[in-house]
Amino acid sequence: MAESLESPPAPPAGRTAWPDTDFGAIYEEHSRAIYYLALRFLSDPTRAEDATHDVFLKAYRKFDQFRGEANLRTWLYRITINHCQNLLQSWHQRTMVTNVDDAVWASTPSSADSPLRVLEIKELGQRIQATLDAMSDEYRLLLLLVADEKLSYEEVAELTGQTADAVRGKLHRARKAFATIFKKHE
Amino acid sequence: MSSDTNFRLRAQAKEEQQAAELQQNVQQQTGREFNSVEEALRCDAAQIEVPPAVAERLKDSLEDEPRRGHTWWRRLFSRGE
Repeated sequence: MAESLESPPAPPAGRTAWPDTDFGAIYEEHSRAIYYLALRFLSDPTRAEDATHDVFLKAYRKFDQFRGEANLRTWLYRITINHCQNLLQSWHQRTMVTNVDDAVWASTPSSADSPLRVLEIKELGQRIQATLDAMSDEYRLLLLLVADEKLSYEEVAELTGQTADAVRGKLHRARKAFATIFKKHE
Repeated sequence: MSSDTNFRLRAQAKEEQQAAELQQNVQQQTGREFNSVEEALRCDAAQIEVPPAVAERLKDSLEDEPRRGHTWWRRLFSRGE
């Protein structure tokens, strides 16, 4: 998690979609991570696009509230998580969705330590989405955040409102649940 | 360049192409393995591109925002000076 706040992040080479502004550089640096989290958390590309737009617009408007205690990526994630959870909450209320009981997956016998396999790389996204959709919001979010190498366990804990030890414990169960469900979709 | 050299270069290029195709076929047949959930998610994330329409919409939205004189990101980037 080495994100320098002392110099503006340079936009990746070859990107021309955004004018050469500092906010553009911030967007180029973080938009993929924000979009990916929204996409896999909401399970809907159109809503993920809307969420990414809204998150960066909120960040622009609320930057005065950014205290610099967290890094910029963490702050953007916090906005994204709040935004997505609000969307899911209102959607769940409308559709009467009940939360998945992760204990079912955790207690299912599986070879969680064996590798996850896909026949073709292009099927990976569909398999991952189907797997995440079968998990609770909490486990889904934990796995998506931990997969970002720029975040420490402590930052994941802060973002999810728990201790780092609690994150480690839940992650163990979340990984097992993911592996079990992923293999069921083979 | 002699015709002999040309021939050898063409043969070498053909061999390289065949080797690349063979490698691709092997990968397609055997698929891909991930040793951890995080590894699979990172590979998935690396394949995802943000649709360009998001940046276009955001630019339009920011044009409607009140000018902030670039103060906030100056404050951000001057931290630690």
